[in-house]
Amino acid sequence: MSPEISIELIIALTAGAALFGVGVYGALSQTNLVMIMMGVELILAGAMVNILAFWRYLHPDVAAGQMFVLIIMTVMAIEMAVGFAIAIARFRAKGSVEMEEAVDLKG
Amino acid sequence: MTAQAFFIGFFGLASVWFGIVVFRTYSMMRSAIALLFSQTALGAMFLSMQAEFLGVLQIMMMATEMSIMAIFMVMFMMDPGGLGEMDMTHQKRLSLIAGFVSFVGAVAVAVFVDWGPVATTFPDAAQQTVDLGLELLDRSMLIFETAGITILTAMIAATAVAIQPVKKETGKK
Repeated sequence: MSPEISIELIIALTAGAALFGVGVYGALSQTNLVMIMMGVELILAGAMVNILAFWRYLHPDVAAGQMFVLIIMTVMAIEMAVGFAIAIARFRAKGSVEMEEAVDLKG
Repeated sequence: MTAQAFFIGFFGLASVWFGIVVFRTYSMMRSAIALLFSQTALGAMFLSMQAEFLGVLQIMMMATEMSIMAIFMVMFMMDPGGLGEMDMTHQKRLSLIAGFVSFVGAVAVAVFVDWGPVATTFPDAAQQTVDLGLELLDRSMLIFETAGITILTAMIAATAVAIQPVKKETGKK
């Protein structure tokens, strides 16, 4: 082990932070359900980069780091499946997936 | 700067740039393709970090996922080509502030936290795959199986939600 700071780790974490920021902007600013899902995908992608970077540069001997990346990929797939199911149900019922028109969902 | 740092930075920048393009274009097809490129650049970034299995998996999974997303885009959008330049955003200022603050906060944590000693030894691609396989079939088996069952449940639930009959409004009182 070396105590030096890894420039590669910092670059990867910065890229992950940028993806997270872009994802937060997308998820909050878009009015269309599918576009909101794209924002959530970018947020999860940012998390995935961070976990992989931590595994690669800090604990490459612990395979659980790779396993967490697989779990995030699973979460991405589930988010897509459930999100599109809600989108189809909404489209069939109301003819649109615009979330500004979904005021009837407000509690 | 090492070649690895250069390639991680290059593909990271490409991934972020295409992520921004997703929300800057009016065309939904371009949005879906930009997200595909963003996720592919992320896969290339994984390959640069010597995580061969996860890099290839990321590219293969996202190519399929984004192709499906593009089909849904065409199905659901009033103007999938973006020819009408319809604005589909709201609370832009709040979203920009939230995105920027989360970016700056995460970068501050990345730069100022002492992450401890950096690993100098690293398993090769074959050893990584062996380690991951043993991890999945040993200590993390319950988590892995739960993830599989959750995907199956999500698929069945998604199909059930999507095919439920919709009551037609007949106009009769």
